Amino acid sequence: MNVAVILQQVPDTEAAVKPNPAVPGAILEEGVKFILNPYDEFAVEEALKIAEKDGGEVTGVCIGPDRSENAIRMAMAMGMERAILITEPAAVEADLVTQGGILAAALKTLSPKLVLSGREMIDSQNDAAAAVVAHKLGIPHVLAASKIEINGDKAVVVRDIEGGSLEIETALPAAISCQKGLNEPRYPTLIAIKRAKNKEIKKMTLAELGIAAAPSKSRVTALRQPQARAAGVKITGTPEEVTGKCLAWLSGTAKVI
Amino acid sequence: MPGVLVWIETSEGKIRKVTREAAGAGAKLAAALNAPLCAVLFNGKDLLPELATLGFAKVYTAEGPGFEKYSGEAYAEALAAAGGMFGADVFLTGATALGRDLSACLAAKLDAALAIDVTEIIYDAKPLKVVRPVYSGKLLADVELTGEKKVISLRPNVFPVAEKPSVSPEVVPLSALETAAIRAEVRKAIKAAEGVLDVTEATIVVSGGRGTGGASGFKVIEDLAGTLGGAVGASRVAVDEGWIEYAHQVGQTGKVVSPVLYIACGISGSTQHFAGMGTSKFIIAVNTDPDAPIMEKADFAIVGDLFKIVPVLKEELLKVVR
Repeated sequence: MNVAVILQQVPDTEAAVKPNPAVPGAILEEGVKFILNPYDEFAVEEALKIAEKDGGEVTGVCIGPDRSENAIRMAMAMGMERAILITEPAAVEADLVTQGGILAAALKTLSPKLVLSGREMIDSQNDAAAAVVAHKLGIPHVLAASKIEINGDKAVVVRDIEGGSLEIETALPAAISCQKGLNEPRYPTLIAIKRAKNKEIKKMTLAELGIAAAPSKSRVTALRQPQARAAGVKITGTPEEVTGKCLAWLSGTAKVI
Repeated sequence: MPGVLVWIETSEGKIRKVTREAAGAGAKLAAALNAPLCAVLFNGKDLLPELATLGFAKVYTAEGPGFEKYSGEAYAEALAAAGGMFGADVFLTGATALGRDLSACLAAKLDAALAIDVTEIIYDAKPLKVVRPVYSGKLLADVELTGEKKVISLRPNVFPVAEKPSVSPEVVPLSALETAAIRAEVRKAIKAAEGVLDVTEATIVVSGGRGTGGASGFKVIEDLAGTLGGAVGASRVAVDEGWIEYAHQVGQTGKVVSPVLYIACGISGSTQHFAGMGTSKFIIAVNTDPDAPIMEKADFAIVGDLFKIVPVLKEELLKVVR
């Protein structure tokens, strides 16, 4: 079964990100390490496992600036064969629904039976891609899968919800976003990392994908640091002492009790 | 004419708190736009009296087997249809698991601007402006929604709940609705253990981390949470070590919580953990390390051994709470 994965490059989780004063909505990239979106690793791993079972190909699609190539190479080192990268600013800066349409157009050229993505992009904290892409492709979707079982033309997927989970049966093709717990992503070998350098990344333009430029439906006008939490109290003492002070604070300041 | 439409999300036959919050935000938005506030309710006619306190002019009801179980496709269809009936241009859901799913389906269907997990709405901004955390909550993004239609999901426990005098809304059945074949169908809902409150639902969360030292160490955390009527949370370390289930994990790779009170016990407070609880109203930290990052971020930091302090705190709280 051919499986396509939606990929995204994001700043490392440990990176100290600061707004770029010159470019609204952008961060200062100097000194920031970029990685493959951690949730995408679950998607790549699952795609490889499914493809390995009955001999299919794993491909990828990505919208992002040129540096995104490094994230794609990481997925390729894990075993992905080829990818499409769309670097045009009009695509990178597009709103979520427009981006979903662009990804769908790129995915169409790969005709996968299953589309996977990470549960969430950890930079923008957006988690809609799989659902929007599914709508654009006219196929069903399931978000935040913690288990995927392929069964012929169907898949049984378990997704987490508050206070439990749902077991969902979906027809294939479908788009599914992948949650932590789905699998243990493999570490690429040195040889695989070397081989990945020669795999094909095809850059495509919006014109080639048949997407007409449209004004963005949303725009980040500013990124800013959240207001620092007001300095708190730090206390020490016997359990009885600190408990007494804590209760006084809970009823007096926090008014929780 | 513009309008605001809210999805009434229910859980086990009850209206979820985040829906009341969405109704509150929706009322403010509707007032700023001088537009009506309406709602869509699926298979929940007995909830109509309760909805009267939330300030809706109209409640569109969708009944039938097609709506018994959640389906993003079918629910989005109904919301779009109801929105079309009175010209809604802003759609609100909670940023819950299913609210996020529905908002994505709806935005795609309506070719709308989509803003996920919003923590602030600038009600009178033109075009409408919202604020949402990005980069693990390290930054906030001001987002201008210029699309003609807008779909917004709201982070639970952030917006004040609707407080409206009881006015019965007009009930409009969405009877002519044709549901397309549901291709991704919920077959089974699997509940977590009985009586376990989900971290995202709770107004008080008591979390344990490395300092709990193991599964048995979570007993004191559970006791305190139980005393306060709160939920049990955990850091990534505690989950990765297998001391507690993933459903309890708070943080970047876990759940995002925004309770009134978050009590972090034996948690150092990494950036990733903070991403999941940084918008809590009050934070208490108990940690042996006075220099742990959480101790700088907490409103009330107690330097000490959680095993000595938490049980005493629980006993004293029992006297107050009861």
